[in-house]
Amino acid sequence: MDDRLADLAQLTMEHALKRGAKEAAVGVSRARFVDLKRRAGKTEKLQASTSRGLSVALYVDGRFSSNATSLLEPAALRDFVDQTLAMTRMLAPDPQRYLPDPALYGPTGGVALDLVDPGYDALEMDGRHRRVTEAEDAARAESEAIISVTAEMVSQSSESLQMHSNGFRGEHAATSYMLGSSVTVRDAGDRRPEDHHWAVSRHLGDLPGAGQVGREGAMRALRRIGSRKVQSGEMTMVVENRAAGRLIGSLLEPLAGASLQQRRSCFEDKLGQPLASELLTLTDDPLIPRGLGSRLFDGEGLAARPLPVFEQGRLLSYFIDVYYGRKLKMDPTTGGTSNLVLATGEHGPDELMAQVGSGVLVTGFLGGNSNPATGDFSFGVRGFLIEGGKPGQPVGEMNITSSHTTLWPRLCAVGNDPYPYSSMRMPTLVFEGVQFSGV
Amino acid sequence: MSKAAKPDHFESHFGLDDAVLQRVIASAMQRGGDFCDLYFQQRTSNVIGLEDNEVNRAFRSVGVGVGIRVVQGDATGYAFSEELEESTMHEAATAAAGIAAGGGGKAPHDIRASETRDLYPVATGWGEVTVEQKLPLLTRINERAFAADSRIQKVRVRLSDGEAHVLVVDSDGRKAYDYRPMVVLFAQCVAQDGDRREENYHNVGGRLGFDYFDEAVVDRVADEAVRRTLLLFEAVRPPAGEMPVVLAAGSSGILLHEAIGHGMEADFNRKGISIYADSIGKPIAEPFVSIVDDGTVPASRGAINVDDEGNPVQRTVLVERGVLRTFMHDRISAAHYGVEPTGNGRRESFRHAPLPRMRSTYMEAGPHAPDEIIRSVDRGIYAVSFTNGQVQIGAGDFTFYIKTGYLIEQGKLAAPIKDVNLIGNGPQVLRDVTMVGSDMELDQGGWTCGKDGQSVPVSLGMPTVKVKAITVGGIG
Repeated sequence: MDDRLADLAQLTMEHALKRGAKEAAVGVSRARFVDLKRRAGKTEKLQASTSRGLSVALYVDGRFSSNATSLLEPAALRDFVDQTLAMTRMLAPDPQRYLPDPALYGPTGGVALDLVDPGYDALEMDGRHRRVTEAEDAARAESEAIISVTAEMVSQSSESLQMHSNGFRGEHAATSYMLGSSVTVRDAGDRRPEDHHWAVSRHLGDLPGAGQVGREGAMRALRRIGSRKVQSGEMTMVVENRAAGRLIGSLLEPLAGASLQQRRSCFEDKLGQPLASELLTLTDDPLIPRGLGSRLFDGEGLAARPLPVFEQGRLLSYFIDVYYGRKLKMDPTTGGTSNLVLATGEHGPDELMAQVGSGVLVTGFLGGNSNPATGDFSFGVRGFLIEGGKPGQPVGEMNITSSHTTLWPRLCAVGNDPYPYSSMRMPTLVFEGVQFSGV
Repeated sequence: MSKAAKPDHFESHFGLDDAVLQRVIASAMQRGGDFCDLYFQQRTSNVIGLEDNEVNRAFRSVGVGVGIRVVQGDATGYAFSEELEESTMHEAATAAAGIAAGGGGKAPHDIRASETRDLYPVATGWGEVTVEQKLPLLTRINERAFAADSRIQKVRVRLSDGEAHVLVVDSDGRKAYDYRPMVVLFAQCVAQDGDRREENYHNVGGRLGFDYFDEAVVDRVADEAVRRTLLLFEAVRPPAGEMPVVLAAGSSGILLHEAIGHGMEADFNRKGISIYADSIGKPIAEPFVSIVDDGTVPASRGAINVDDEGNPVQRTVLVERGVLRTFMHDRISAAHYGVEPTGNGRRESFRHAPLPRMRSTYMEAGPHAPDEIIRSVDRGIYAVSFTNGQVQIGAGDFTFYIKTGYLIEQGKLAAPIKDVNLIGNGPQVLRDVTMVGSDMELDQGGWTCGKDGQSVPVSLGMPTVKVKAITVGGIG
């Protein structure tokens, strides 16, 4: 961690306590990134910058606020603390706001998560140009029907330090790379369907080849040609691994401590109950090496450990942070997700579709929303009709409408293909009897 | 002009006189390029929140920086600096210059301040308003909501305010300053009826000052949050499939934002990836349909006195009596098409390069009487309030989510409906607008538009409108 930033964090902490804060939590961070976009045979955009920030949570006279600044020199930081202390003192007291019990803090080192690519600074601009050029060329070569290809590579190196006045101190560092292609193709009339493929990893060597990234984006877009909406009805839904994260994300909202305490959760008082089919075993696992959500401690400094959320359909844990845990009189688990892992099945998507026979393969969601108090949701979808066990006619301009209380008991198959390019490492999921609306 | 507006803000606080600006511009243009711009922004934002009857949480955020952009053709080099020291700015300028392919040495222009509009003057900047002054807004809503109905279990209120000083300077010598206030007051209720639970919210926002929030405005936020929540107990999911949809005046403008708005952003069109790319000059809707994107609606979220490239802001006609007229341009797209910029070049902050973005997007009032429109539908839905939407601009498929509405049966409003997504195809839906009411309303909600990883505040509006058929994501 940059010494200068660490010193500024220390200065901020000392000043806050000197000025009357009973407790404080200070975080500093620095992120460097490079973003290169290529289109139509040349560079479209090149952006490179470094960003720094400091956050400070103040606990003063029984009152709480959290604050952030990017004005990082000592006089400005002291002024910022003075202003925010004055502001905080005008709020109402909150007896549940105080730092976590230090017993909840865990070791902040010693586990090798391997989140930093030591070769990060060795990647030159030439290497970036080479990759986006290869991706664009490979995508273009797939078909004359391609109107536009944008290939992009983003790399980021970040580090952060968090310190609490009751003894917590933790550092975190990570690198990430993203390589992707977005492709638009010509269809009938004015239609120009688009699709994309993005690969994300912590180490450069884990990215797939640029040519492959380009080809995959192109092939996905080409498969959208001829898409139309079909008849409404209840059908078996196969959700592609890269799309399944949307459903899980919506499922998690009512499981958050804030949702439960504010009574906007359809899963209140449901711990231990079967809410899904036995195929749902879902774990939040912060300790996966090179994981895109991996960390040694959460946002409150709590020691990171795997959290079983669902086990064979039974709800085992909520996401309870320290503050709402006190209000709910529940032990904290963690206030935020890290890597979400769903226990995989034996078969890949092709075999699952062969078993399904007829239904819809959903490859992407579009808009829509969900209601955490009732579990109701309605999402736009696009994908393919499954006929004779294979994906065929592309479909779109359709919705699925259901509720989490109805959907998850109908989970009838899980694939063996966890999606590697997200902290949501979902496999293909198959649900029976899902309401599709179309014509 | 707002009292808090200070055109010399960056010069007096950071020593950024014209000489410094010229040196940084020269640095950015050292390798050539068609133009460069420097976007200075100093921003403060505050949120205070009420939960469980107490205003007991707050979040304050401050920052300042400059984004430096160099453009050559349609290629952009970009870098930002969070320090306004000259040496750091030169580093950022040099990084942004990397996009240009040699040339350089353009003679500098004299810097001249541009005239800008005055669409959102506020008497008192949010920086002068104390927490003590704000508290009664939240506690009043809390008390009023709980008093309204015994089924109300929880109330959450949030006041988010902010102000920004913005200065845009470019290598053509243009210099424009703007002072920008923004506020959203938000209230959410959770209610219980028997063993059923529902939640909903209402919010009001704009480029407004503290004095806007008189008792009538504050009470209306509380009353609407309560009404929209309790209505959900009577509401059902509508049937699934295609049916006529009548959109209530106001926030149903989200349909325009998704169905045509993004598709008319000029960057998508010059790349050939929008479904509207070949449609300028063509009729795409009935002659009583006119759609505009307007940066000049006073005090609205979508208003800007000058855009984030320093271009003057106007009312841009997208569809004129059914015919597609103009894309929304930034400088790059305007140059590509050989037209003047339309004042749509916007960015989330100095950390982001500008893109064509919407401002206040609405359909003009039409010839039909609003109640005639509902009466014309035998079986369909009447959509009233919305939460969000999304679009695929190439395929043209767009969605928006209805939070509350009504079934229409035999020309009359029947059972309330809730929580349903609508999906349609932009050009098809515009062709299918068969009636447009005389009651245009611009919604005051806190709408935010996301594109390419950056968000900007926007407004939307509509008269009562009938669409012949849209796919409704219902049940059965």
